[in-house]
Amino acid sequence: MIGCYDFCGHYEWTFGWCEREGGPALVREYWDEAINHDSQRHARDLIRREGIPGMLKYWGHTLLEESPDLGFRITPRADVFRIDFHACPSRGFLLRNGLKHYHDYCDHCMGWTGPMLREAGYVVDHEHNHAGQCWWEMRPAAATGGHAAPGSVAGDQDVRLRPDWPQDPAQLDRYTKTNDPDDKMA
Amino acid sequence: MNPPVPSALPYTDTKPQGSADFYYATNATFRFILQRRGPDGWRRYLEAMGREYFAPVNRQWAQGGLAAVARYWRAFFAAEPGAEVDVEERPDRVEVRVRVCPALRHLRAGGREIVPEFCQHCHWLGAARAEAAGLTMRLSGGDGRCCHTYARPAAGLAPQDLGQITEVRP
Repeated sequence: MIGCYDFCGHYEWTFGWCEREGGPALVREYWDEAINHDSQRHARDLIRREGIPGMLKYWGHTLLEESPDLGFRITPRADVFRIDFHACPSRGFLLRNGLKHYHDYCDHCMGWTGPMLREAGYVVDHEHNHAGQCWWEMRPAAATGGHAAPGSVAGDQDVRLRPDWPQDPAQLDRYTKTNDPDDKMA
Repeated sequence: MNPPVPSALPYTDTKPQGSADFYYATNATFRFILQRRGPDGWRRYLEAMGREYFAPVNRQWAQGGLAAVARYWRAFFAAEPGAEVDVEERPDRVEVRVRVCPALRHLRAGGREIVPEFCQHCHWLGAARAEAAGLTMRLSGGDGRCCHTYARPAAGLAPQDLGQITEVRP
């Protein structure tokens, strides 16, 4: 049986299998069709219906279940919904167990939430460092401009204020006002 | 001080049990692969996962024999929320009797459309893992209650009859 205890492990392995089978396109389709439109349809329906309050309900519940030691911080405002991951539970599982069957596990989050948020009318600012730390800001699709300054939304909980947050942008995957997992900034 | 006892599970988390909502993703993954690659592609996916992702536990089984198999399944189901399972070790086989399948229980509670072939995954995956460990695997039942048998080849189990694996009812 495939279990839920080590879900992140076989989920990540599945990305590699899909890429072997159908190239990067099949991985993107897997994240959008299987995860966004099927598995996580409860999140999709909630956020399309309620917007930022729906994001708070969904991520507030699911992150508490996945990360009861609170390796994350949620900052909900009327104009932006922000999450700072100081210890991502799923990336942490892979790192602790030495699992790597796909070149960038972290891409899966933008892979399914990007299309989901587009359908709900939101765009995403995001950076991840591949080591279990990342941040997300979701704003209405009409939002423009670059990333908000560190600390301006989440205060001292902003993951970018950590001493181990990379200062070299080349060590980060960065997205600005987008929904496309392939729309990484150079 | 005694040395730490190695886990029967190849990959371990900081939580004692997994998050049951992940069963939604497993069911959705099966649906996606069945639609895109058909039953043969889905079987290929599960067999490859059994050989590759589960290689560490297959090695534990090959080295530790049926005792390692029984230890693994006890630890596995202890980490799956809602599972009700008995594991019996006999001289030539281990029987894993699932009284309540945690995945089907949660998928039903969540009102999810379960792929009818769902229960076959335990056979395709389990048989590939057993083969890698020099064992055989058979499955009977399904739709929430089933019996997995892992045996030494000398046990002479009859070939798997796929008709013995129940489809999931809507």
